Amino acid sequence: MPDIVSILKDKFPQGILSVQLTKDEFPTLWAEAGSIISILSFLKKEADQPYSMLYDLTAIDEQAKNNRGEHPESIYTIVYQLLSFERNSFIRIKVPLTAQTVIPSITAVWPSANWYEREVYDLFGIKFTGHPDLRRILMPKTWIGHPLQKCHPARATEMAPFQLPEAKQVAEQAAMQFKPEEWGLEKTIADDELMFLNLGPQHPGTHGILRLVVQLDGEDIVNVVPDIGFHHRGAEKMGERQSWHSYIPYTDRVEYLGGVMNNFPYVMAVEKLGGIIVPERAQMIRIMMSELFRISSHLVWYGTFAGDLGMLSPVFFMFNDREKVFDIVEAICGARMHPSWFRIGGVTQDLPNGWKNLIQDFIDYFPKRLDEYDGMVMKNSIFKARTVGIGIYTTAEAIEWGITGPGLRATGFEWDFRKKQPYSGYENFEFDVPTGKNGDCYDRAGVRVEEMRQSLRIIQQCVNNMPDGPYKSDHPLTTPPVKKNTLEDIETLIHHFLNVSWGPVIPPGEAFCSVEATKGNNGYYLISDGNITSYRTRIRTPSFPAMQLVPLIAQGYTLPDLMAILGSVDYVLSDVDR
Amino acid sequence: MTWWTSKVNDPAAISGNSSFEETVQQSIVLTNMESMVAWGRKNSVWPFNFGLSCCYVEMATSLTSKYDIARFGSEVIRGTPREADMMIVAGTVFIKMAPVIRQLYEQMMAPRWVISMGSCANSGGMYDIYSVVQGVDKFMPVDVYVTGCPPRPDAFMEGLLLMRDQIGQERRPLNWVVGPQGIIKPPEISLKETKREERMRMTSLRSPDEI
Repeated sequence: MPDIVSILKDKFPQGILSVQLTKDEFPTLWAEAGSIISILSFLKKEADQPYSMLYDLTAIDEQAKNNRGEHPESIYTIVYQLLSFERNSFIRIKVPLTAQTVIPSITAVWPSANWYEREVYDLFGIKFTGHPDLRRILMPKTWIGHPLQKCHPARATEMAPFQLPEAKQVAEQAAMQFKPEEWGLEKTIADDELMFLNLGPQHPGTHGILRLVVQLDGEDIVNVVPDIGFHHRGAEKMGERQSWHSYIPYTDRVEYLGGVMNNFPYVMAVEKLGGIIVPERAQMIRIMMSELFRISSHLVWYGTFAGDLGMLSPVFFMFNDREKVFDIVEAICGARMHPSWFRIGGVTQDLPNGWKNLIQDFIDYFPKRLDEYDGMVMKNSIFKARTVGIGIYTTAEAIEWGITGPGLRATGFEWDFRKKQPYSGYENFEFDVPTGKNGDCYDRAGVRVEEMRQSLRIIQQCVNNMPDGPYKSDHPLTTPPVKKNTLEDIETLIHHFLNVSWGPVIPPGEAFCSVEATKGNNGYYLISDGNITSYRTRIRTPSFPAMQLVPLIAQGYTLPDLMAILGSVDYVLSDVDR
Repeated sequence: MTWWTSKVNDPAAISGNSSFEETVQQSIVLTNMESMVAWGRKNSVWPFNFGLSCCYVEMATSLTSKYDIARFGSEVIRGTPREADMMIVAGTVFIKMAPVIRQLYEQMMAPRWVISMGSCANSGGMYDIYSVVQGVDKFMPVDVYVTGCPPRPDAFMEGLLLMRDQIGQERRPLNWVVGPQGIIKPPEISLKETKREERMRMTSLRSPDEI
């Protein structure tokens, strides 16, 4: 069978401009803006083993780039990344935009492009013709400028000091006022007048600063419109200013319940760019710590989800167990929530003496607790009544909307990146991929509960089989390089000095790496211009598409069901807004 | 005021001679109105159920069994600012969120206090970035700053205890007509200064190679 690149070249001789080689070895093609819709619909609908998921859509401001290579001229580049489950592979299509910053919208091909295109419009100022609702999504309505353009200041301290006089307070509040017609919502259905309920941005049920406007017919939800961006922390722009090494702490805070799990895709992407091979011991330490964080994140979800449905006591039990996980994390990494413990080329330091017993105690303790929680929560009849058959979506819908992780597996589709595209040595582990059947709130909960058991299995295998050897690579780009070697030869001393003072210089190129994170597939798309900072850092998070799907799965249910649906989706606002 | 607890069958509890002086000592408290009210305020600081980002998780952790701020009378989290005494600005103060935070603060009734929890709320912290206000004190008053990114629940509790002490010493008018108006606050203290000596004494740190 001919590969997809030659098929596309044959099919669209004018549309395909050139082919690019990237460090991640994804097929990467440059395409012309006029034919982007036909190319993408071919890939989605007609191609053999189609690319059914719009995995990511973003842009690059190319104006400050030095290493342009042989690629078509462009001021901005739009990047489409698609995933094919049949092929188990990604494809990347890039569209150069020169003088005009307008491109056809692909919302007709993938409805999930809606939010991604709004994000690109908001952050880059690129217009999408044919988009149904092109307005800002992350920045406030009153914002001037597009933050991810290279000419926009990055630091708050480069801009005028923030002030909030009374007049501004009033104006900002007025700009936030909800007007149904502006959001494309009808005020009536047939003869019934509809009610609009504003939830958030400060509301205990939204798990963070999220605003939802709910359109209600009596108690029934007609539509939900999420208003996000209250938690936009500029993580992508931050990557353009922090050195490759000093960006690691920012990744921890992207999905703040996942801890070092967030470092994982980032350091893997940098290692791919730098050609660093990570020693086996470091790989297994990374897996072990990530799985511990999966448990701690799921415990927070478990307790708060039960809390959302009116059970007050579970959260106390589960936070206590989370403390036990944090005792281990703290003993090994030295911090609780954000250890920033992975390093380019390995981890910060070797495991401390006595780590085995510490973890073994937890492995022996935890399964009994999980059984108890099954009785307390999962088998509870009220909990079941509130979750079974609520918030259903099918596998096809999940794929259409870019859902990954437990939310996808709950629909019955066994897709786990740890199994399908193993990284860091996951292929050597024995574990099951739990799936659901109905794709409702209960199944999503069940998948996560079972995942905690599987994570324990993985951690047990780490304890039993932890290999000896270095915890850091001896590659010169490892940051910081192993200290003891610096006292032995001048080469390592120089690298140590430069990597610590300037930060490593990563060779030009681009790479994408992703992991099966706590909430779904979390990926970093890094572009290096051969400098000490990244040229463009794109963070593809699982919560962003999940939030976009919420209105669809909430329609037709009642308001209390919305709380169950929000809880079962398990998003983190920092993961939605970055 | 000093007080103690005793067991029911504890002989120490029924010791004494049941004299008039003793009974008075045990059952009558003499104080002034201001101190009494301040004592009440100090021991029932109800927090507003409000959080912005990562710090909120650690703040919520302080409510759970291992830390348990119910010991200090602060477990009664309120869903509406109108019923709360204390706002914990736990997390990053986003420019998009700032008008909302101020509105929520203004909806709280006096007496009200604010704890700024974590580096972001204190000063912007590691987020010197276009979408973040460089410290919540740019647009509303703060009583106690807690450092950390995020602060451990223990650190938050230290901040809370510090604020309770301050509240206990605060003098507010008992009435909006009678007596001098205005709030007399105790002098602000800097733990950085008061703890310097203790900190300087720490010369040998535990090795990270041991658990």
